[in-house]
Amino acid sequence: MTVILEAKDIKKTYKMGDVLVPALKGVTFKVEKGEILTVFGSSGSGKSTLLHILGALDRTDEGKVFVGGIDLSTLNDSELADLRLRKVGFVFQFFNLLPRLTALRNVELPLTLADVSDKECREKASEVLKLVGLEGRMNHRPTELSGGEQQRVAIARSLVNDPSIILADEPTGNLDTKTGFEIVQLMKRLNEEKGQTFVVVTHDPAMAETADRIIYLKDGLIEGIKKGSGRL
Amino acid sequence: MRRKTVFSMAWANLRQRRLRTTLTTLGVIIGITAILAVTSLGEGFRAMVTEQIEYFELDVVMIMPVGRQTYFTREDAENISQTINEVATATPVMQKMMPTGLYRGEKNATTFLLGVNFTEFKIVYPERLVFGEGSLPQPIENDTIVLGYSVAHSETGEVFAGVGDEVTVAMYVGGSLPIRNYNFTVVGVLKEGGAGTLISIDNMVLIPLSTAEEIYQTDYDMMLVKLVDQKYSESVADEIKDLLQKPLTALAPSVMLQRTGNILDMVELFLVGIAGIALLVAGVGIMNIMTVSVMERTREIGILKAIGAKNRNILSMFLAEAALIGLTGGLLGIPSGYGLAHFLSYALSTFRSQSSNGFMQGGEVALNITPILSLSWVAGAFVFGLVVSLLFALYPARKAAKLNPVEALRYE
Ligand SMILES: Nc1ncnc2c1ncn2[C@@H]1O[C@H](COP(=O)(O)OP(=O)(O)O)[C@@H](O)[C@H]1O
Ligand SMILES: [Mg+2]
Repeated sequence: MTVILEAKDIKKTYKMGDVLVPALKGVTFKVEKGEILTVFGSSGSGKSTLLHILGALDRTDEGKVFVGGIDLSTLNDSELADLRLRKVGFVFQFFNLLPRLTALRNVELPLTLADVSDKECREKASEVLKLVGLEGRMNHRPTELSGGEQQRVAIARSLVNDPSIILADEPTGNLDTKTGFEIVQLMKRLNEEKGQTFVVVTHDPAMAETADRIIYLKDGLIEGIKKGSGRL
Repeated sequence: MRRKTVFSMAWANLRQRRLRTTLTTLGVIIGITAILAVTSLGEGFRAMVTEQIEYFELDVVMIMPVGRQTYFTREDAENISQTINEVATATPVMQKMMPTGLYRGEKNATTFLLGVNFTEFKIVYPERLVFGEGSLPQPIENDTIVLGYSVAHSETGEVFAGVGDEVTVAMYVGGSLPIRNYNFTVVGVLKEGGAGTLISIDNMVLIPLSTAEEIYQTDYDMMLVKLVDQKYSESVADEIKDLLQKPLTALAPSVMLQRTGNILDMVELFLVGIAGIALLVAGVGIMNIMTVSVMERTREIGILKAIGAKNRNILSMFLAEAALIGLTGGLLGIPSGYGLAHFLSYALSTFRSQSSNGFMQGGEVALNITPILSLSWVAGAFVFGLVVSLLFALYPARKAAKLNPVEALRYE
């Protein structure tokens, strides 16, 4: 099995004025190609911090992250941005779409940033939107879409640059059970059909169980790693 | 990111906040308008003044006394022509800056009397002493008189006097002396010489210098010095002062032209400076609105960074917005500045000043400036507008670019 992502003893402490808030206290694990890994933990356990660090959105205080064998600490800010653009896809709890752009334009954004031609942008973005089942909603703005649809657009956007890994931070946290279930289903399908690797952060035990593996995070430390059922 | 994409995104963002964009752009438009209105009026004024001064003979220097007791003699004039190499001819003239009554039968006119040596005067002002009717008799009689165009022809087209007519000049010599009458015979009427000249010949009558001397019983009160070349104006004026050792002043059109040009440069620069402040204020407006915009779009910037936008992508997005504001403001400011200049020019032309001094310039003087839009000022203002917009946008744009993505994403 190929290791796509590796975290080695990563530590991160936030400063709130004079108070130090340790968010991660030494986290080590690997993500293998083609798996769905969930990080399960209660609120404040450090899940988002971990995800941001894995996705090169933030830096560690100590320890190292390797994405595709590349040590992120050796990259400058611009190179990290490029890595986020080409190797990593983010999905957030609150969708984080640009409100003024249509679904299609939102999905085109990463391609635009990667200097892909207009024509190819359009083709690829519509293709991915079709894949997530939104071919009929391409020219709608986020406010004209339901939560589930918005999250599908976000997934399409994370997918459009063919990343090696998609990092999702509580993707169902803002959806009702049924819609959340559909989003999980979509991720499972992308995983099966395209072999897409996912790291999904959740505090929902049922959701965590659907993964191939589950990492239990508590107070910035891994409590245990367990196999999931892999089933919905 | 390709430039086209950056600009189309910037355009979309600006359109989204239409009112705000319009008001910000308005600031730039006002700045550019102010600069171009001032400069195109300034250039128009410069052209007008230059044209008027250039209409004077640039190679003739007028020597005039300072104070009432100074007069020039024929020797002074000869001394000047012989001693100073750059002088072609120097001729004394008699002229009193006093209107004189001219009568023919029932008709009368007001004129200015100029006593000249016709031969020398013709050398000095070959293009002024041109006869429309008649000619100079040989030899010239003491009672010879030549009428300026406007003296002979009244505005209504009526002829006051023609060749061969007898006219009477009523002369007030000065003090408590009574008005005396002198009779002259008209030998010719000059062609229209234009009213914008330093000596407005159209409103004058010319009599022989010797006759004028007899009438006034004084030496001459002015000299006309024709130069080999106009470039010697200033140096010759100085040399004449040294030579004659009399309190005199030299009026050199070419020096006036140069000095006026210098003054206009300074005035224009000063006004552009003030107008430029308007543009700087517009720059502060851009900075202000951009700072607000960056704050409002913090989350959006976070999202863009999360999906892979680099700092310089964010920077160029904001700078592109400023550039579009600067470009649009500049483009709209050009016609608006030119328009304002025309409006101001119209407003100025309605203020008329009355001048009754027939010697320097006669009649009603209106300030009719035709604004001139010079390419270099347009280009200068346009570039300045763009540079100011970008410069003031740089600070907020850099702030946006440097936002920490994680914190930006958490921003509510
Ligand atoms: N920017 C920050 N400044 C200060 N403390 C922070 C910041 N971000 C997170 N934290 C703290 O770090 C801990 C982990 O936060 P987070 O990673 O968001 O947890 P989770 O996503 O599991 O809820 C929490 O105690 C939180 O308050
Ligand atoms: Mg979280």
